[in-house]
Amino acid sequence: MNNTSLLQISDLHVRVEDRTILNGLSLDIGPGELHAIMGPNGSGKSTLAQVLAGRDNFEVTSGSVQFRGLDLLSLEPEERARKGLFLGFQYPVEIPGVNNAYLLKAALNAKLAANGKQEVDAFEFMKLIKDKMELMQISTDFLNRSVNEGFSGGEKKRNEILQMLMLEPQLAVLDETDSGLDVDALKVVATGINSLRSPERATILITHYQRLLELVVPDYVHVLYEGRIVKSGDKELAQTLDKRGYDWVKTEAEIT
Amino acid sequence: MNLASLQEVFEDSLNRPDVSTESRLLRSAAMGSFGEFGFPSRNHENWRYTDLKPIVSGGFNPSSQPISSQQAEQANQELEHAILDANAPRLVFVNGQLFPNNQSCNQINGLNVTTQIGNFEHINHLQGKEFFKSYPLAALNAAFSAHETLISLDKETRIESPLHLIFINSGTPHRAIQPKIFIDIGASSELTIVQHFVGSNPAPSWTNSVTLINQNQDSLLKFYRFQEYHRKQSHTELLKTRVGRNAELKLGYVDLGGKLIRNDVHIDLAEPGATCSLDGVFLAMQGQHIDNHTRIEHSAPNTTSNEAFRGIIGEHGRGVFKGKVVVHRNARGTDAQQSSDNLLLSEHGEIDTQPELEIYTDDVKCSHGATVGELDAEQLFYLCSRGVNNATAKGLLTFAFANTILQRIEVPEVRKRAASIIAGELPDYQNWGGLL
Repeated sequence: MNNTSLLQISDLHVRVEDRTILNGLSLDIGPGELHAIMGPNGSGKSTLAQVLAGRDNFEVTSGSVQFRGLDLLSLEPEERARKGLFLGFQYPVEIPGVNNAYLLKAALNAKLAANGKQEVDAFEFMKLIKDKMELMQISTDFLNRSVNEGFSGGEKKRNEILQMLMLEPQLAVLDETDSGLDVDALKVVATGINSLRSPERATILITHYQRLLELVVPDYVHVLYEGRIVKSGDKELAQTLDKRGYDWVKTEAEIT
Repeated sequence: MNLASLQEVFEDSLNRPDVSTESRLLRSAAMGSFGEFGFPSRNHENWRYTDLKPIVSGGFNPSSQPISSQQAEQANQELEHAILDANAPRLVFVNGQLFPNNQSCNQINGLNVTTQIGNFEHINHLQGKEFFKSYPLAALNAAFSAHETLISLDKETRIESPLHLIFINSGTPHRAIQPKIFIDIGASSELTIVQHFVGSNPAPSWTNSVTLINQNQDSLLKFYRFQEYHRKQSHTELLKTRVGRNAELKLGYVDLGGKLIRNDVHIDLAEPGATCSLDGVFLAMQGQHIDNHTRIEHSAPNTTSNEAFRGIIGEHGRGVFKGKVVVHRNARGTDAQQSSDNLLLSEHGEIDTQPELEIYTDDVKCSHGATVGELDAEQLFYLCSRGVNNATAKGLLTFAFANTILQRIEVPEVRKRAASIIAGELPDYQNWGGLL
C-alpha cells in the first residue's frame, strides 16, 4: 500500500452479466497528477469511470479500490461524491423538471454539510458561480433551465465542467469530455480542467484523442486494452498513439 | 341507496314551493332517464376499472337543502384555506349552491353570473338525446341539481385576471352534492377559469358535478380544474365542452386528493380550426382511486388536440386512464396527439391505461402512447453522483415527472399549491430547499 496515493486500484475485475469488462486493472494515482487513459472502443474505459462513481449495474468480482484511504467500493454514489470524487459523464442525462441551479446548489451544500462546513445561501451561491460560468462561457439564463434539457452536446459538456468547478473534487474522472466538441468548445473545457489543477487534486482523463491532451498536458498516459492497462508512458505515448494507432500496442499486449 | 328510496327523496325535493313548473318537468325527465340506466356498473365498458359501490352504498342524500347559518360559518372557515389568490375575482359555491357571501366578481364588465337560467339554447344542445344515456350520473345531477349557475362572457371581451370558482362543502356528513355550472364564452373573448374543488373536512361526502361549456368562435378559454379534497371525500364529474370555429381551449386537470375520483371529460372540436390541449396530473396514494376518462371528438376539418396525462401511483394507490380520440368522417386535416405516462412508486400500486383512436377519415396526423414505469435509473445515478441523497433524488425525480405538466398551468397560484401538495407526499422533500 502506497500511503501517498489518492486513488489506488488493485487487480480490479468487473463483470456485466457474464461478460468480463475489467480484467485485473491496477492503477495508482497520487495528488497533483493528471492521468490520461486511452484505448480502443470496448476496452473498458467508460466502465472504469462508472464503477469508480458507483453505478450499480456492474459486478465487481475481485480487486479493491482505495480512495483517500477509504474502501471506495463500499460507499454509495452520493458518499463518494461528498468525499471528493467527481464523474464527468460521457453522455450527461437530461432531467426535465429539475432546475440546473437547484441541482448545483443541492450538490454543493450536500458536500459542504458532509464535511462539517456551513451551507451556502442563494446569494453566496450566485457569487460563487458567477466567475465560473463566465469561465465556461455559460449564460445566466441557463441556471433556470432544466438539467441538460435541450442543451447542445457542447453545452452539456461545459455544464459537466461547471459542476466540477463548483464541487472542487479531490479526484475528477472525466469520461470523454472532449467528444463531440468543436475547437472553441474544446479550449473552454480545457481551460476549465486546467483551472482546477493543483498539488492536492488529481484528474483522470478518459479520451480517444490526442487533441485534448495538447491543451491539458498529462503526467501519465495509459493504454487500456481488454480490461487492463497494457502500456504506460508520458505525454509522448499519446502522440505516438495518435500517429500509429493502437494495433502495435495490441500486438505487444498479446505477445506478453 | 336503491332507486326506490332515491325516487322518494326525489319526489320530496320536487314538492317545494320554490321549484318552478318548467324546472319540475326537466328534472322529472332527468330522473326518468336515471331510473332507466341506474348507477353505472362495472359491466359497462367505461366503468370496468371503477366500482361505484362505495358511493352507491354510502347512504348519500342528494337532495339539496338551504344552507344553515352554522354551515355558512363552517364554509367561511374552509374558505380561508381555499382562496388561492385573494385579489382574483371569485365565485364561491357551498354544497353546490352559489353562496352570496364572499363573492368578488360583481363589477367585471362583460361577465354575467346568474342562477335564473331558463331555456338557454347555447348550452342545451350540449345535453342531447344520448347525453343521459352516455352519462347516467349527469342525469342524476340534472334531477337533483336545484341551483344551476350560468357564467357568460360577452363577445369581444378579454378578462385578465383568472376567475376562481371555489367549491366547498359545509361538512354535513353523507351529503351528495350536485353542482351544475354552465359557461358560455362569447366570440373573440378571452377568459381564464380555475375550478377549485377543495375540502378539509374528514366527513365522508360525494360531489357529483356537471360543467357544460360552450365556446364561440375565435375565443380562448383556459380552464384549470384543481381538486384537493380530504381523503374521505369522493367525486364524480362530467365536463363537456363544445369548441367553436378557430377557438382555443386549454384545459388542465389536477387531482391530488379525494378517495374515489372519476372524471369524464368530453371535448367536441365542433367547427373548423378548433384547438384544444388537455393536460392532466394526478396523484393516487394509499386508499385513493383516481380515474380519468377523456373523449375528444374531432368533428370538423383542421382541428387540433394535444393531450398529456401523468399519474403518480403510490403504495396501494390505484389509477385509471382511458383516453378516446374520435376523428369523424369530415374532419380531414386533424392533428391529434395523446400521451399517458405513469410512474409506479411501489409494486403494490396499480394503473390501467388505455388509449383509443377511432378514425373515420384519411389525411389525419394522430399519435398516442402510454407508458407505465419506474424512475429512470440513469437520472437517479446522475443526481446521486453529484452528492444528492438517494431518497431526495427519488423524491425530486418523482416531483419533476409531475412538474413538467404543472408548468403548463398559467395560473401561478394553482401551480404553486399543486407543487407543494405533491412535494409533501414525496420522500425527503424537506431537503429540497429552494426548489419550491
